[in-house]
Amino acid sequence: MTKNFFEIDNVSFVAGGKNKVNNVNLSIEKEGDIICLLGPSGIGKTTILRTIAGLEKINNGKITLKNRIISSNKIHIEPEDRNVALSFQENCLFPHYSVEKNINLGATRKIGKKSKINSKNIIKFLNLEKILNKYPHEISAGEAQRASLARSLISQPDLLLLDEPLSNVDQSFKEEIQVELKKILTNSKITTIIVTHDSYEAFYLGSKCAIILDGQIKQYDDPYNVYHFPNSVEVVNFLNRGILVPAKVTGENSLENDDLGTIEGNFIKHYPKGSNVKLLLQPEDLEHDDKSNLKLEVVDRKFRGTNFIYTLKTPSNTLIPVFVHSHHIHQHEVDEKFGIKRPIHIDHIVCF
Amino acid sequence: MRINTWYISSFLISLVVAIPILTVFTSFFEETSNYYEIIKNTFLIEYILNSLILLIGVLILTFFIGVGSAYLVSFYEFPGVNFFKWALILSFAVPGYIYAYSLTAFFENYGTLYSILKSFLGEGNYNKLIPKFDGMIGAILSISFSLFGYVYVLTRASFHYQSQNLLELGQNLGFSKKKLLFNIILPSARPAIIAGLALVAMETLSDFGAVSFFGISTLTTGIYNSWISFDDLAFANQLSFFLLLFILGLFLLENLSRKKAQYHSPVRGGVKKKKKIKLLSFKAFFAFFALMLIFLVSFLFPVLQMFYWTIIFPKNFIDLNILQLFINTFILVLLTSFVLLIFSFLSNYGNRVTRSKFLQHVSTFSITGYAIPGVILAVAFITFIAWLDNTVIKFFDLGSIKKIFIGSITGLVIVYFIRFYSLSFNGLKTGYERINRSIDESSYLLGYSKMKTFLGIHLPYLKNSVFLIGILISIEVIKELPITLILRPFNFDTFATTAYVFASQDLLEAAAVPALFLILIASLFILITSRYILRD
Repeated sequence: MTKNFFEIDNVSFVAGGKNKVNNVNLSIEKEGDIICLLGPSGIGKTTILRTIAGLEKINNGKITLKNRIISSNKIHIEPEDRNVALSFQENCLFPHYSVEKNINLGATRKIGKKSKINSKNIIKFLNLEKILNKYPHEISAGEAQRASLARSLISQPDLLLLDEPLSNVDQSFKEEIQVELKKILTNSKITTIIVTHDSYEAFYLGSKCAIILDGQIKQYDDPYNVYHFPNSVEVVNFLNRGILVPAKVTGENSLENDDLGTIEGNFIKHYPKGSNVKLLLQPEDLEHDDKSNLKLEVVDRKFRGTNFIYTLKTPSNTLIPVFVHSHHIHQHEVDEKFGIKRPIHIDHIVCF
Repeated sequence: MRINTWYISSFLISLVVAIPILTVFTSFFEETSNYYEIIKNTFLIEYILNSLILLIGVLILTFFIGVGSAYLVSFYEFPGVNFFKWALILSFAVPGYIYAYSLTAFFENYGTLYSILKSFLGEGNYNKLIPKFDGMIGAILSISFSLFGYVYVLTRASFHYQSQNLLELGQNLGFSKKKLLFNIILPSARPAIIAGLALVAMETLSDFGAVSFFGISTLTTGIYNSWISFDDLAFANQLSFFLLLFILGLFLLENLSRKKAQYHSPVRGGVKKKKKIKLLSFKAFFAFFALMLIFLVSFLFPVLQMFYWTIIFPKNFIDLNILQLFINTFILVLLTSFVLLIFSFLSNYGNRVTRSKFLQHVSTFSITGYAIPGVILAVAFITFIAWLDNTVIKFFDLGSIKKIFIGSITGLVIVYFIRFYSLSFNGLKTGYERINRSIDESSYLLGYSKMKTFLGIHLPYLKNSVFLIGILISIEVIKELPITLILRPFNFDTFATTAYVFASQDLLEAAAVPALFLILIASLFILITSRYILRD
């Protein structure tokens, strides 16, 4: 017997006769935890959700929920009998029922505990009051997605699966919903698996994130670790929040790069002195300093509201991203020189 | 592949539908009477030639009437256009054989036209002046006016989906209206036009009532006569074999043409409403006149002719047991609709739940019945039952099953089932295709069982489809002639068979009453369903 609330034990996920994600081991320890599956489109994230929901079968391994095997090569609990709710990415509201009836159908689940969630609150926070009497064909994709989310939440399942739940929701409304969604899921202790390709959404909502690449889970860890301590070059490339530059380990806490000079910090993994490595440089690792004698050429500048992202070119033609607070008065134009504070200190040095 | 209820039931349906085809093919090599030699040496070529001439004539006429009327109502604005849009589909209510009676009655010597001329112009030798539409011309006209609706409905829907942008692009390129019609509008509606013509072709080759009334020997009448007059089932089946080859060829042609390309794609957010061209003065009058003429000739003319006879020969109305005909017709309508809908639901739901490609292929095979003429179905069914009775049933000494299936309502409903299964199966399939699969999955995930999903989600959603299919089946059953004629129980008549029997005894004025009732009931059903048939 497993101690975990939910567990996937060595399962290969298959869709349309093709293996999508292989040999997955993943667990959710406590009821009420939220985890996110993060990965590029078409990698098999939705297949994992569909399999957990019982809409696809498995040939090896097992999936356990609340100490009960719900899927294995011999056991397949039907979707209607596992008390798992899945909110699809596309509109899957019942077309002949009003939005209100669709949402209330969630409260009539035949198994599981009686819903403690107040449907009025859900409808309010998802801003659905004005469309309750409308039919699915009369509402927008974003509204349909919110209504579907409401229906799933109200059903208060043992396990809630959300497939890109906010992909069609307006950007202006998205963050507000993320906050409320997290609050509701946490307060009502609904264990949730969220599939998304938006790393910010995953980092905010999930207590843990699984990065799925090349048909397998590459990393399953809390968001901070996934971001700061990616465990492979593939994860770094997928998150696209830094670059890898060549460097030579020069001591216990230092390394040397031809363009940037000495870099100091704490290695998260030991490398012998003299090793040639690839150092992960993230935009926030380098600090701007106009007085520094380390000057790099600006090749691009993106204004992102809260900050600028400068792309700098080193003498060896490597392009390095650097964050600068957007209140920074002295802006640098393309082709100008940009100073980097020396010595360079990085809190945690990640090398490959 | 797991063998379960779905596979077994789909197999059974396919098996029932396959009976006539298998029977025709296996009977092809059987010995026949001398009649075969006579026919083969003298009339077989004539049968085939007549069928071909009839087919070509009907296809040409339905193409011009169907496409022309669809073009006018789709692209132009003129007085009465909204009326004609639905009025033209009323021609579906008039079977070819009833049109044939009207045509003959109106133009025959001392017929209705003669009476009209006499009453207006006084006595005269008008018979020489009045044209006679009988024989092949009469058959082509009768069948064309009763079938052009297929081409009209499908072409009109295709015109509706044509992109307004495409038309505007043509105009930007400086195309004249004529060039626009021949270079853009017609080519992109080609699959719909061909699909319509294919339906017309199958129905024409199936026609029995009109051609037999005009005494034209086609393969269909040959099949009927070889069985009824010469009691030669084997030869009837051999003729059926030729006719099936004919139809198979048409089927392949239609499929080939459909597979070729995507001609128009539904646009997200609906279709941009077409800007209709407003016709003025004589052009508007011409358009109105053309469509009024088609409506008048295809629908009003036979209705008025039948009505006229009913009025002037009231005895026929009084003598006819209309209530009994109503009851008989509606027993068949209700039973057939019920059986068809139940099995169509079974197949469609089975396909949906199992997602089996194999089942889908089996289903595709089981809808081929619609392409097979009613005469063939009936004769092949009798052949099969006779074979079953003489072999399996006799072997087990179970008595005779002929009485159960031949000359009985059971047999009639089974053959109707084979003939109209595609109508209800495809109708439900279209309805089901509109329900996203994730709808079912959402339902399961909300804790609904498969049965509850079917009853709570599918049925309410498909209720309009069920209603529409029920009505379409009813129209077909009410109009159906050869199957009913061959397989009906003794002394059991419908409006269609009564009209046919009177007409075949040269009692056209007596045929008018059942024919009029048939048209009126069918028209009522068509009007109820018109908004679905004409749905864009």
